Amino acid sequence: MANPTTHTYQVNARLAIDTLEAGSGEPLLFLHGAGGLAWDPYLDVLSEQRRVIAPYLPGTSKSNDISQVRDLWDLVLAYYDLLDALGVDRADVIGHSMGGMIACEMAATDPSRVGRLIAIAPAGLFDMNDPMPDIFAMRPAELARRVLVDPTSEMAKMLGAMPDDVDEQVEVLIQRLSTLNAAAKFLWPIPDKGLIRRLPRIKAPTQIIWGRQDGLIPVSYGETFRRLIPNARLEVLDQASHLVQLERLPDALKLTLQALRGPAGHAP
Amino acid sequence: MKVVAFNLMPYKDLPADFETRYDSVWVTIPRTLYDPRKGHQYYHEYLDALETAVDLGYDAVGVNEHHSNGYGLMPSPNLMASILSRKVRHSDTTSVVVLGNSLALYNPPIRVAEEMAMLDVLSGGKFIAGFPVGTSMDTNYVYGINPSEMRERYYEAHDLVMKAWTTDEVFTWNGKYNQLRYVNTWPRTAQRPHPPVWIPGGGSVETYDFALLNDYSFSYLSFFGHKYAKKVMGPFWDRADALGKDRNPYRAGYAQFICVSETDAQAQIDYEEHVKYFFAKCMHIDPRFVEAPGYRTVASLRAGLRSQLDGTARFGKSVLDEGFGWKELVESGYVIAGSPETVREQIVEAARELHVGNLIWLFHCGSMPQHLSLKNLNLFAEGVLPHIRNLWPEWDSAPFWPSGFGDQPKPDARSDVA
Repeated sequence: MANPTTHTYQVNARLAIDTLEAGSGEPLLFLHGAGGLAWDPYLDVLSEQRRVIAPYLPGTSKSNDISQVRDLWDLVLAYYDLLDALGVDRADVIGHSMGGMIACEMAATDPSRVGRLIAIAPAGLFDMNDPMPDIFAMRPAELARRVLVDPTSEMAKMLGAMPDDVDEQVEVLIQRLSTLNAAAKFLWPIPDKGLIRRLPRIKAPTQIIWGRQDGLIPVSYGETFRRLIPNARLEVLDQASHLVQLERLPDALKLTLQALRGPAGHAP
Repeated sequence: MKVVAFNLMPYKDLPADFETRYDSVWVTIPRTLYDPRKGHQYYHEYLDALETAVDLGYDAVGVNEHHSNGYGLMPSPNLMASILSRKVRHSDTTSVVVLGNSLALYNPPIRVAEEMAMLDVLSGGKFIAGFPVGTSMDTNYVYGINPSEMRERYYEAHDLVMKAWTTDEVFTWNGKYNQLRYVNTWPRTAQRPHPPVWIPGGGSVETYDFALLNDYSFSYLSFFGHKYAKKVMGPFWDRADALGKDRNPYRAGYAQFICVSETDAQAQIDYEEHVKYFFAKCMHIDPRFVEAPGYRTVASLRAGLRSQLDGTARFGKSVLDEGFGWKELVESGYVIAGSPETVREQIVEAARELHVGNLIWLFHCGSMPQHLSLKNLNLFAEGVLPHIRNLWPEWDSAPFWPSGFGDQPKPDARSDVA
């Protein structure tokens, strides 16, 4: 696996953002989900072809605190500021889960900043007729059952691994809780913050990827995204749940790279 | 020391198999289990008992706030306090404590400034204002407050309420979470500059400092008694020393179940069933709702997670699952129970150990019927209260207790001497 490097960007007067980066070429922004940022095989393969820049959501890394971000709008503007700091006018953006929601917001708020959009099981909607479960009231075992088709797989064991030392366990738990807390800023008590009204503003060609057995965000939500984003395709992968890009790595990569080769949205 | 007769007002008829059949006493408790006719009877019995406590000369009667909760049936404690204030106004000894209003839940928070000012005026300046952050169950899960904003909202609401109480000019509030063009709360509080403030908490590091730096009284509210409370009160007094505050015991209080009977043996006969009802059913809380991510700050997590991971922390009904019977509940200090002599000895020992001046006495427990509540109140008033009042003769409680109408000559600061 490539060794990603960590970087810190002072994106505006109030906020510094930390990133993990690897690869070279055209910049590709990856926004992680509520579980936090980890350099995984999906990002690793992408970094063979592109310069992958994966920011930590504010509040989940060393340089900032979630109280520095006032609301979702503030966050979207901070990510534009990050693009400015990177010297990038328009980036291709991939977002998973909560990151997918933020990527959609970026593409809808200023469509000129997002060239291609890949949304993997994005959050941001809530259907009272098909409610998603409460990720903030879930024991670790239940969460594992909901985000993976096979919660006994090697990957599941890796994701749930805990150090033996109690002090290290404390630090791991603190990191997990801090990450979830920062995610709660944008997802509490349910993730609908009005995105459904803004989806039609998205100009970027959009590839939506969903796991058919997604136990966290029902696949029916994917159809709503496809219907409301003007230039969107939805691919539903079987035998995959919410971590679809890892559970079906080769297919998810194929779809992603295909979308990245396609035409980008209107130039600014 | 001073004694607050305090009642959670639990629902007493949860089914015998409640804790095996249902997930939680809180947040998701089925509302069909509530019978309003029984609720009617209990509300009035509970209020009768608290009024009896006023007659018996306790230092205060206390109520608190919970939501979607089968053991705490006061979504609005201010309603109960307003009823009690009718009687408290005639008392020479008894104040009323609302312990309290979870500030982040009120929109706009000046609602708290208004209602508490009403209570202060109604009671004749014998009101104590409690400002808890609130539990995660009530605050985050039932009332939907974002845990990543909760403490900021709490502190901002506190600043707004205090400014509303202490400012006589109309002012504008431009906060992060509240914007009000005209803040001008009527009525004014009876006490000047404002009612005493108590901060009930579960022992977060930040809360000690907040209470100490503002000269508010800190109340450690747990159901696990004085031995458990040592873990919190020790660090609290260390912080007091570090911040250069005196060790006035009235800076602190703690909650304790206490059951008085004629003899130690009779206490078990009288109360065991009802205490066990509390720990088995009322502490049956779905662990998924106990703590939203970020409810505890990182500093508090670091201080508390270890005991959770190494298994030394107690939670909820696990104490009964571990085989706690009456003997263990009493020996571990979860309940102080016995004859008046036994009880007062233990209270004095615990109060000295914890160095607390305010005893938040949980005089009702679980499914206790009214006749036992009244027995408990009467025996305590007769055989315990006179013996513990003078525990801290060298300290003045006045900075943390009500002072009556502020526009009249202050009465002599009430001392501990009965």
